Amino acid sequence: MPDGLDGELLERFVQGDQTAFESLFRQFETDVYRWILRIVRDRSAADDVLVEAFWRVYRGRACFDASRSFGAWMRRIATNAALDHLRTAQRHTGWRVADDTMPAAPRPDQAIKESIALAFRSLPPKLQIVATLALVEEQPYSEIADALDLPVGTIKSRVFRATRLLRKELARLGITP
Amino acid sequence: MMNDDQLSQLLRTALPAADATAAPSRDLWPAVVRRSEARIEVSSADWSMAAIVAIVLVMFPEWILLLAYQL
Repeated sequence: MPDGLDGELLERFVQGDQTAFESLFRQFETDVYRWILRIVRDRSAADDVLVEAFWRVYRGRACFDASRSFGAWMRRIATNAALDHLRTAQRHTGWRVADDTMPAAPRPDQAIKESIALAFRSLPPKLQIVATLALVEEQPYSEIADALDLPVGTIKSRVFRATRLLRKELARLGITP
Repeated sequence: MMNDDQLSQLLRTALPAADATAAPSRDLWPAVVRRSEARIEVSSADWSMAAIVAIVLVMFPEWILLLAYQL
């Protein structure tokens, strides 16, 4: 098995065995959680997206080919669930910076961070996700491509478009290095 | 105009990398089980929206590209 997983465990999961599903959940939850957190950047949201991702995995278990990597398949589904979360979040809420302190009168450097974060969150979600993983988390393009099930060339193109939009927005806000 | 390295540096300052040792705040297995057992309910508003989108796409097929871009 590509993940070193028991083939019989995966077969039982595909057939809907709840115990097999729980065993896979226990083995993968932390890795998947950390991947999701890199994208959504909020612990509470990462909890929700993790639940959603594993639910989608269970719902789509019949489509899983037990001879292939469960981890890679799981990560793709988790990435899509996180992307859906970004789309919803962009419609409903603003963005908060990672240190999560929101003083009433922000210091100038904090205000700049807020502006950068806001500019980042204004990117279309499909650009935002690649920009987060490539520019902030410094993940290899090949890994991002695998997680999004897209060619590496598409990832490079999206990073290019994201950086172009960000430069434009930051220049408009008067933010320079 | 800032270059790619400057932009990455600026972003990493504003958006620090996620905690590589983070773990879920609680045992989420019960929530997964509840979610798996819940029935999928589609509201009438969702059906109406889907119908409107389908009708619009039949009337203006060239808008499929616009919709695909948004997705």
